[in-house]
Amino acid sequence: MTARRVADGLTQLVRHTIPSARDIVFTGLSRSAGGLSRENWSFDASWSDAAGSHMHRLMLMRDASGTLLKTERRREFDVLKALEGSTVTAPAVFWMDPDGQFLGAPSLVMERVSGSCDYMVLNGTRPLEERLALARAFLQLLVNIQAADWQVRGLGPSLGVPQGSPSAIALDEWEAEYRRVQLEPHPELDYVLAWMRRTAPQAAAIVLVHGDFKPGNALIEDLHITAKLDWETAHLGDPLEDLGWITNPVRRREHQIPGHWERAQIVEAYSRLTGRVVNDAALTWWNVFSCWKLAVIQLTAVNEFVSGRYNRVFQTPAWLYRPMLQMMERAA
Amino acid sequence: MRPSVEEQLLGTCRVLETVVAPAVAEPFARTILDNLIANLRMVTEALPAVPGFLRWDSAATQSLLQTLRSALPSELAGRIDAVLEVPAPDRDDSAVQTARNDLLRALLAEAVCTQDLAPELHRAIQDHMIARASRVPMRYVPTAAPPETRP
Repeated sequence: MTARRVADGLTQLVRHTIPSARDIVFTGLSRSAGGLSRENWSFDASWSDAAGSHMHRLMLMRDASGTLLKTERRREFDVLKALEGSTVTAPAVFWMDPDGQFLGAPSLVMERVSGSCDYMVLNGTRPLEERLALARAFLQLLVNIQAADWQVRGLGPSLGVPQGSPSAIALDEWEAEYRRVQLEPHPELDYVLAWMRRTAPQAAAIVLVHGDFKPGNALIEDLHITAKLDWETAHLGDPLEDLGWITNPVRRREHQIPGHWERAQIVEAYSRLTGRVVNDAALTWWNVFSCWKLAVIQLTAVNEFVSGRYNRVFQTPAWLYRPMLQMMERAA
Repeated sequence: MRPSVEEQLLGTCRVLETVVAPAVAEPFARTILDNLIANLRMVTEALPAVPGFLRWDSAATQSLLQTLRSALPSELAGRIDAVLEVPAPDRDDSAVQTARNDLLRALLAEAVCTQDLAPELHRAIQDHMIARASRVPMRYVPTAAPPETRP
């Protein structure tokens, strides 16, 4: 989509959302390179309405034509609205085009928070003490997300309260996605899935789960996390789901610092911050699930590429098979 | 036959890198282009290994199915027998090789989910899967974008 069409769509969206809006001006509209499943456009907006004059630094997140994840903008909008005023650092959300009526694809407009995004910040060039401080800050953010009272904040109706074990629900959801996108037999994924079905753990609590918790979708300024982004896969579920994602061995370079901030240290710090006892077998199950879910996301990308709807080339995720099988063996 | 397939693919990568990429100013398009070039290089390197991998995989899968056969439900065992009775296809026909491989792997996908398999059968399944994963010639090539700034 061109910048001109984005600007036109934004203008229509603002007029639809704020009928009294006039003198609507967007400047500096530009698309950034990041985002596997969405187009990200940054811009400054000004307008006047019945409440007065407004100027904001904003970001448009628009679903890409081919995407790794089928998500709902409304879910992200609801979560961000619900988290306003909480201890979770997240951007304020402004407008939503849930069906792409104005922007041609489901879209969300949110506050453009200062800071930069670095997938590998925990293993980058910063001094160890800074990286450790950021690692602890990320864990504190995860704990804050889990501490958010989703009932008081009204997230039950929009996210859906799990009716049954979150692990079984997660398997149902991701198996459906797996069956939808698989183009060829994958005995390895079926084998791991059967193991997960046999050993699915029960949840100790129901909490808000981010669903893709990683440094790559947070903004950092100096030693502070200024915003947690990408809430499109947020849901209510098991506290160990996000913890399993960040202790997942295949993504340790993103989440861990060798010798200083590894699985044992993360679990110990998490238990201290939350008072929860972490069942190691259950956490391993969520580690395996994280790998399996990642494999399904890659198969989604393969399917979308083959279908001509996605412009990056992915391959069958064979690199994930060995770690999953090894974790299963250790858990036996 | 010159330029060979490999020479043409590598030459295409060179032209894309040296002529096209420098002229692509839009960051998102450049990221996409970098991914495509990296993948094309991977495919160029992996392509010669694909037929051999398919033959190895079909033979190994067939062997594992025979190992598992006696522990499987009779209906599934019967379908495996029917497939294994068919002679291996012409090794030069890649489409038939791929179809045969898909058929064998579909049967394996069912077989490995059979309940109450003995530990030694699970061992055989896992050994096969790890051996196969280490031989897959096509690999995702990460071309991580540089740290992204969202000012």
